[in-house]
Amino acid sequence: MKTAIRFKDVTLGDRLPPVNVQITQEVIDRNAVGSLDYNPVHTNLAWCRTKSPFGLGKPVSHGMLTMSTMASVVTGWCYESGASIGLLEAKLTKPVPVGDRVTASGEVKELHPLGPGRNQVLVTLEARNGVGELVATGSARVDFPD
Amino acid sequence: MSIDRLSPYKTTEKQKSFESDFLKGVEAYEVWDEVEIGVEKACSQPFKVMEEDILAYNLGVMETHPLFIDRDYARTHSPTGSLLPHPLFLVEIAFYCIDQGPTSWIRSPGARNPGQRVELYEHFRPGEVITIHATCCDRWIRRGSHYLQSRLDYRNQDDTLKARWWLTLILPANRKELMQYLDLVPEGVQ
Repeated sequence: MKTAIRFKDVTLGDRLPPVNVQITQEVIDRNAVGSLDYNPVHTNLAWCRTKSPFGLGKPVSHGMLTMSTMASVVTGWCYESGASIGLLEAKLTKPVPVGDRVTASGEVKELHPLGPGRNQVLVTLEARNGVGELVATGSARVDFPD
Repeated sequence: MSIDRLSPYKTTEKQKSFESDFLKGVEAYEVWDEVEIGVEKACSQPFKVMEEDILAYNLGVMETHPLFIDRDYARTHSPTGSLLPHPLFLVEIAFYCIDQGPTSWIRSPGARNPGQRVELYEHFRPGEVITIHATCCDRWIRRGSHYLQSRLDYRNQDDTLKARWWLTLILPANRKELMQYLDLVPEGVQ
């Protein structure tokens, strides 16, 4: 069983446990099938060699997978308590080619003590590639049930 | 051309029936300079949420929390009494409902993802039938790139607004540019 974190347990500056994903072609393929996003920039190796808008000559991971990984930082942290993301935003700053690694992390930036059933936490999120470069930034507004 | 190596990963009925070759039918996709701004359009394909859809999506994003991937655990611990959909489960719904209809530019070869915004009001639940209404609300040019944004409203069979996705992509500027992402530019395309 996971530990359920409550709103009263959250403090400004709390760092959320990071989530790491090694971006293999299998990971990209499984995400393509799961999301039904079969854009050739992710799955068509021959097309990527000559047509990719990123000019990398190889597939890149879905931007939505990077964003999903950022969201998973939050799900792993607080969903056990019944909390859930109400708003998720991300800016994708750099493509993530196959073979790279993504590490997503988050930090509590704002507490909104609005009362039971309405309390909210703003978490800032970021994702970095295998050499530590920023590939995405964003935030999640998390709604807590108590 | 569908890609054979993906077939073993297709486990749900929707995954098996979905057209996965995004280069097929490109000629009919909406393009940046032709899209009508401010006109709401219904996507014709409804999405009936099945638990297998939720599980398959959650596994596809490598979610590991048992609320998302362990049916037995979810039945006793989840606020919905079933597997929770990952926060971005709405991506799968969008691609399924849009298919090659309104907002088909989401499938464009050459598209780039600059970032997204999603608003989630309620968890999607097994048994719900979700429909999407799409309104292309803005297009702009920034540093030579052509951005297009649509608002996708997800409603269930009771007309409850479940989620909203402010979908933004950087796209080929026109049909000619789009067709350059294929191997052949058909005659007559300007």
